[in-house]
Amino acid sequence: MSPLARRSIYRTSMFVLSVVLVGVLWELYKLIGPEDGGKIFGAAVLPRSNDTAMPHIWSMLSRYGRPEVRGSDRQIWSVVLAGAWYSFRLSVAGFAIGATIGVGLSVLMARFKMVERGLLPYLVVSQTVPLIALAPLIVSWGGKVNILGFTWPKWLSAAVLGAFLAFFPIAVGTLRGLASAPSASLELMSSYAASWKQTLFKLRFPAAIPFMVPAFKLGASGAVVGVVVAEISTGLKGGIGRLIIEYAREATGDPAKVFTAVFGAAALGLAMAGFVAISDVLLMRNRPKETTT
Amino acid sequence: MSAVNVQGASKIFNQGTPKQVDALVDVNLTVEPGEFVSLIGPSGCGKSTLLRLIANLLEPTTGEITVNSKTASQSRLDQDYGMAFQQAGLFDWRTVAKNIELPLELKGWDKAKRAARAKEMLELVKLPEFADMYPWQLSGGMQQRIAIARALAAHPPLLLMDEPFGALDEMTREYMQGELLRICSETKTTVVFVTHSIPEAVYLSNRVVVMSPRPGRITEVINVSLGSNRTEDTRGADEFFKGITAVREALRGTHDDHANAGAVRGVEDR
Ligand SMILES: Nc1ncnc2c1ncn2[C@@H]1O[C@H](COP(=O)(O)OP(=O)(O)OP(=O)(O)O)[C@@H](O)[C@H]1O
Ligand SMILES: [Mg+2]
Repeated sequence: MSPLARRSIYRTSMFVLSVVLVGVLWELYKLIGPEDGGKIFGAAVLPRSNDTAMPHIWSMLSRYGRPEVRGSDRQIWSVVLAGAWYSFRLSVAGFAIGATIGVGLSVLMARFKMVERGLLPYLVVSQTVPLIALAPLIVSWGGKVNILGFTWPKWLSAAVLGAFLAFFPIAVGTLRGLASAPSASLELMSSYAASWKQTLFKLRFPAAIPFMVPAFKLGASGAVVGVVVAEISTGLKGGIGRLIIEYAREATGDPAKVFTAVFGAAALGLAMAGFVAISDVLLMRNRPKETTT
Repeated sequence: MSAVNVQGASKIFNQGTPKQVDALVDVNLTVEPGEFVSLIGPSGCGKSTLLRLIANLLEPTTGEITVNSKTASQSRLDQDYGMAFQQAGLFDWRTVAKNIELPLELKGWDKAKRAARAKEMLELVKLPEFADMYPWQLSGGMQQRIAIARALAAHPPLLLMDEPFGALDEMTREYMQGELLRICSETKTTVVFVTHSIPEAVYLSNRVVVMSPRPGRITEVINVSLGSNRTEDTRGADEFFKGITAVREALRGTHDDHANAGAVRGVEDR
């Protein structure tokens, strides 16, 4: 068996094991935790362990096999799957926009020190703007903003919010990566009279890959969070975020239902992370495996 | 027309600060086309700095430097020289063959021509079976040979080499010295070569430039009269030993006050 296959089997089994472990802890807490939560001087410190707040694992799982609403012939798994798929596509779009902007900005900052000094503080500040405050504004562009005959679709707003969270780690990580090229290598390129562009593509970007991969991982999960929060805070139809708020309203009568959507969102994040993990393996397969001196 | 002409060059790092270093002071050096010139001297005497000035990777604080009758910067832009540094400096993400092709890519050679030249260079450095390996899968000495192949790949008229054989074992080192002489005489390449080894300097060079530190300067230039046809037998010739003695004598005067008398710091006697 190749080391690569062995490693992926190992990783997968560790992942399955950790999921099972979380399930066991959940059920364990239900067994020993206080039914009505733990309070110290009136402040809730322990969650309630009753079936409304924390349904059994098996009731959540079996909920997938039953219809979304009584009398409907659509089972909930297909509804959640469709919602997750919709949000997934939005996240991919947001990630793509964020990655393009992030990498573009980092190249500009690497090229012009002035741009870095002028821009970087604003990028940091941009991330302190609460997404919830920004979401309604950007979503309000949907259907209204019209640029050269192109009407801003509503879904694009959610993707833009995903991009808003995705671009920052990507820009910062790529910038660090581009700056990581050793000075001896830069000197070599300069001895060949290589242009800045040649140095960028033949040296700086390849040297940046080990920094970009983790940055893109953060960016991918940022895109998912941005999209789901945009859906939740604006009620955009079709995605997993909308399902979460809808199902949460039924939490007293049908507590397992909301968890089916929450798991859908988690699966969505995992799919995005898996995306990047595959590119990680592909891009890093010919890099040094162990550091030698 | 000289291949390299350094006139009154000085290099002062961090001028006007407490960290000021007079790396080179008033250096004059002329290298004729086809000549092989070695720079030798204790550590820190400015050998690498002088090489970097010629390569236009550093600007001199004062003085003039011309390469092939052009300004040093024009020569760099015209890719008139190949350079091998103290460290191999190969790109981890490129195969060995692709590393050698790098300067050719930057010159705009087409793929087939590049591949053919890379193959030729790999045979020259005796590592043909490593073409598709990655640098980090090779030993340090092998990496250094690849770096030399990369410097030679475009057959530049001028080679600037900074202790290129320092990491090699003695056998490979002597083999590479022979190959370097062969290539340079075949292609009429001019070489400026930094080394710490006296026999290496004498064996390779037409002239050995002896430098001393604090401040870095040229103290003596020794002509080596071994002729142009040097073989392994040359290493046993009387002229060879005479050259070694002359360089050692010259170096004796260069060590600074802190060094132990007799031993020249940083210069190997092998
Ligand atoms: N970029 C730099 N900034 C400041 N000082 C420098 C710089 N490069 C070199 N120096 C100083 O210049 C002097 C000469 O350095 P250089 O590298 O040319 O020595 P060298 O003769 O090549 O030594 P070695 O044999 O150890 O390679 C040293 O004192 C070094 O500290
Ligand atoms: Mg040096």
